[in-house]
Amino acid sequence: MIKAKHILLVVILAVSAWALWPPRAGDDAVIRLGARRPGAEAEAARRPYHIRMAPGLYLPGTMPGNVGKPLAGLLDVAEKFEELYPDTYVEFVGTPAVREWLVTQLAAGLAPDILNVNVEDVWQDVQKGWYVPLDAYLDRPSPFAKPGEPGSKQWWDVFKYQAITRGKAAPDGKSYCISYDMVETGIFYNKDILERLGLGLPKDWVEFLAMQKRLAEAGYVPLLVELGPMSDWGVDLIFDQLYAPILDGIDLVKDPVREPYLQGYLDWDEICFLYRKGFFTRKDPRWVELWRILKAWRQYWNRDISTADMMRLFVTQRGAMYWSASWTVQQLARDPDIPFRWGVFYLPPIPASYSPYADGHDMCVIGGSAMQYVVTNTAFSDTGDPATSERLKRAVAFLQFLTVPENADRVINEVLSMLPNVKGVEPHPELQPFDDFLKRPYTTTKWSFTFDMRFNEILVRMLDLYLNDGIAEDDYLAWTERNLRFAVETTVRRKKVDFDALQRTWDALAPARRHMKGLPDGAR
Amino acid sequence: MARGRLQAVARNLGCYALLAPTFLMLAVFCFVPFVWAFTTSFYAYEIGGESAFVGLANYGEYLGDPTFLSSFTNLLFLTLFSVFVNVVFPFGVAKLIFSLSSERARYAYRIIFLVPIVVPGVAVLMIWGGLIYGDNGLVNEVLRLVGLGAWTRGWLSAPDTVLWAVACIGFPFAGGINILIYYAGLSSIPESVHEAAQLDGASGLRKFFAIDVPLVLSQIKLLVILTVIGVIQGFQGMFILTRGGPGFASMVPGLWMYFNAFSFQRMGYACAIGVVLFLIILVLTVLNLKYFRSAEDVQAAT
Repeated sequence: MIKAKHILLVVILAVSAWALWPPRAGDDAVIRLGARRPGAEAEAARRPYHIRMAPGLYLPGTMPGNVGKPLAGLLDVAEKFEELYPDTYVEFVGTPAVREWLVTQLAAGLAPDILNVNVEDVWQDVQKGWYVPLDAYLDRPSPFAKPGEPGSKQWWDVFKYQAITRGKAAPDGKSYCISYDMVETGIFYNKDILERLGLGLPKDWVEFLAMQKRLAEAGYVPLLVELGPMSDWGVDLIFDQLYAPILDGIDLVKDPVREPYLQGYLDWDEICFLYRKGFFTRKDPRWVELWRILKAWRQYWNRDISTADMMRLFVTQRGAMYWSASWTVQQLARDPDIPFRWGVFYLPPIPASYSPYADGHDMCVIGGSAMQYVVTNTAFSDTGDPATSERLKRAVAFLQFLTVPENADRVINEVLSMLPNVKGVEPHPELQPFDDFLKRPYTTTKWSFTFDMRFNEILVRMLDLYLNDGIAEDDYLAWTERNLRFAVETTVRRKKVDFDALQRTWDALAPARRHMKGLPDGAR
Repeated sequence: MARGRLQAVARNLGCYALLAPTFLMLAVFCFVPFVWAFTTSFYAYEIGGESAFVGLANYGEYLGDPTFLSSFTNLLFLTLFSVFVNVVFPFGVAKLIFSLSSERARYAYRIIFLVPIVVPGVAVLMIWGGLIYGDNGLVNEVLRLVGLGAWTRGWLSAPDTVLWAVACIGFPFAGGINILIYYAGLSSIPESVHEAAQLDGASGLRKFFAIDVPLVLSQIKLLVILTVIGVIQGFQGMFILTRGGPGFASMVPGLWMYFNAFSFQRMGYACAIGVVLFLIILVLTVLNLKYFRSAEDVQAAT
């Protein structure tokens, strides 16, 4: 016999089911992440070539900065591409932003055909055959470039920031990625707060610290910054300030392909060699100075640099400045609820009056290529041979199609975050400051990417501890030394560094080092 | 003799056939990976690369690993803390529920305390992370509200508090299946034992320590084993909330094994850490089984 409570239960279940029922497909507001439009997926099974792409920032259905409409630019471009290649279906997938995922997928041959990854990560594993060198395609014309236009002679020519794009060549000389767009960091600041306190933009590091001191006294968090960027960008920028003055004596490899952008860049083989000469140890006064400068700066950052939500602290005006990158513009410019005026400036130089090892040259940049699309071993899984793979040809063709100006404009400029790296496509005006920043020289090295993940993991961890007073300076320096020794030994074993050739160059540079101050003992 | 055994097998062929898939799955997913891991621990093997036999080098390196001492110290602290809270708190709650006179109330409380186990573990961790979030977490905001702003801190980012912050995941430690295990133990104690104790003048705490505790030793033993295994193998709390940091302040061997396997691609080394953890769990379990008396032992002894 049916009782009232049974009826009540059924009603509750029915109402719950109704409330949780997914919204109807096709509504712009509910595009499933990466999903193609209704009907398109049904055709996928009938087409012989199925290309999967992990496009990073431009994944259809996402809303960068949680403002605006879900992205759909790539869907439009894919549909146009499939009209030209009716045997191909392009699928977009989201991927976890963790290297663990990438490594396991690549090892199993299951990674997306095209994916966005920092190419320095790729350099670690090129010897494993996981990635396809793109030089052969870049050197030839793009099939989608009209006669006389960039790309009609060689694909390389479509890229606007030539030096940066070519500078992404791996140390083995091959190019494993195309740089689709550009990103750069900058200090976002609250104009209202600075005006209220009568503060102008700093011209050098001394003024920069004084400005932060004033902000702290006024009750604001002077600078919002996360540990990850600080251990990457912060370390590299200060490193460049201290080591660029002696590059003439320690830059041992001049690569003609990469030199126009990566001027004096120290690769892992040079770092290994220099470490053996006493650099980057406690015997190296610049190395010690690097960490001291960071520690002295720490007092002006938010207390919790590991888990705090910086954007929230910035938009709620608890923090006066936020060290972030051009991707932050999307939210600040398009969110109608931002209650203050904001601007962006670049970090000022460290003058000799602040550090005896600095010379006051402009801070370098550490951004550059943003979406770096690589082609993986999955793309030639149809034949197992890149030379004969039809699937690979289509994957590369789609990349080439993406760099057609109107397509790049549709995809990149749908988001107010990155600077298009395709000739004929202009960036949003709000991103212009970052275009100016990018004219500066590139960093001397990128410590986060120079060695393997173990090195980086320990570097970040111990820096966190050091900056938060969890370890004394001597102990911290001992840690970095041990970490670097292990990384150097591993690199030498894996990469078979040619120390004899480096030693010959080192000897040849001895006159340049003769009058340099602050070199490690015995490294002159 | 052999013929007899064969006949017995033939007679029970159906049963063996039914059991076979289970054993097959166990072999494929448990025993083969274990043997593979044990073997790989003697190799320098990078995912996607070639492997080279290195003998005991991975074990030797682990003994000198910068995380070795600190991660095992952390593990010891977390294990002792977890064993304590997982044994004591659920026992207290189970006893309180068991003491209720209304069967309906007892049933209701059992359900209430059991319901939280349907919340996914990751969600629990995220909620906990939100509560103790450094800048605007609930704990810090409440401290500010009551005028104790000086006590606020980044609980997960400060080296001196992170281990306590991680250990307290699951606070107040009173939910879940542990209560039911204890409740079942308390239910199995004959009513006559309690009545006899009451006649002898025992009551309250005396009865609890003299009767309840010795007679649920089997349950305590089970929970100790499960907790120890869970803590040694588990690292999800640290992985999600701190990634073992700051520095290595909340690192545990399991998490370091994970990093070596999938971040650093040092699969051989990670396997060596895994084998070390297996041996530790094995030894602790054997010791527990051998020296920790169960309720039956107590009853037999008395």
